[in-house]
Amino acid sequence: MTPMSDSQFAKEVLSRFPPAPEFKPFAIYDSDGDCIEFFTSGDSFYGERVDDLLTVYRSQDTREIIGSLVKGVSGLFRKLDKNLPGLRIEIEAGSVKLEHLFLLAQWARESPEIRTITYKELIGLAEESNVSVEMSLSA
Amino acid sequence: MGDSEGTRRSYLEIEAVDPSHGRRTTVIISHDRLQAVARRGTAHIHEAAYIVPEILQRPQAVFEGLCEDMDEDRRGVGWRCYCGIPSRAFSRDGSERPTYPGSVYLVFVNADRVAYNWRWEKADENAPDLPIGHETRFKRRLL
Repeated sequence: MTPMSDSQFAKEVLSRFPPAPEFKPFAIYDSDGDCIEFFTSGDSFYGERVDDLLTVYRSQDTREIIGSLVKGVSGLFRKLDKNLPGLRIEIEAGSVKLEHLFLLAQWARESPEIRTITYKELIGLAEESNVSVEMSLSA
Repeated sequence: MGDSEGTRRSYLEIEAVDPSHGRRTTVIISHDRLQAVARRGTAHIHEAAYIVPEILQRPQAVFEGLCEDMDEDRRGVGWRCYCGIPSRAFSRDGSERPTYPGSVYLVFVNADRVAYNWRWEKADENAPDLPIGHETRFKRRLL
């Protein structure tokens, strides 16, 4: 493949992937990063690491939490599978309510007392948004 | 940049600097990823179009690896984080605006040369072109 100029790349991206006309909260599993992202707003954001598993996204304008990134999802479920073998059955249906995922991530942490407030805030946001994420445990 | 169509997974290919020898290499971004970014809104797809190539080609720093197993990309070694302060940022409507003070832009690339994530993060007060925690969250600095 022949490299394209930056301006050609930008034109290609903007023409092929037009932004959604109206923002709606959503969550998505990305297999390349083995991560789940969750968004409640279309604001530009900055990431703020909470712990090794969780990064929250804060609006550049308001600094409020408007999303999150949960990393190492396969590792998280492997870890939980040892202690909660019934969990795999629940997840294999394919769709996971996001508030449940945040709760599981909170349980999986070595020091659950640290930064619990952030997890609780995310669980609340997920409940309000009523968002699920499609994923498979086969990875 | 190239474009792969008709393969099992479609992607765009863009240039990046390889910090191990300073020459150009290629990085790929999946159509699926760009589709997901477009769902976030106008500012985000503009960041993908303009800021991601800028950081990949002219980074202020490139880090490799993560210090916790759970953080590591499941395909292991070769994970890199390109870091820099871009020339511009984008408002919610896609219009250009000055960059956010005290922020740096990170682009994450996995061992398969897939740029799978990118975002702003707060900068280290003592090293304003590097992200907070850069001393402990990466295994080594390549550039």
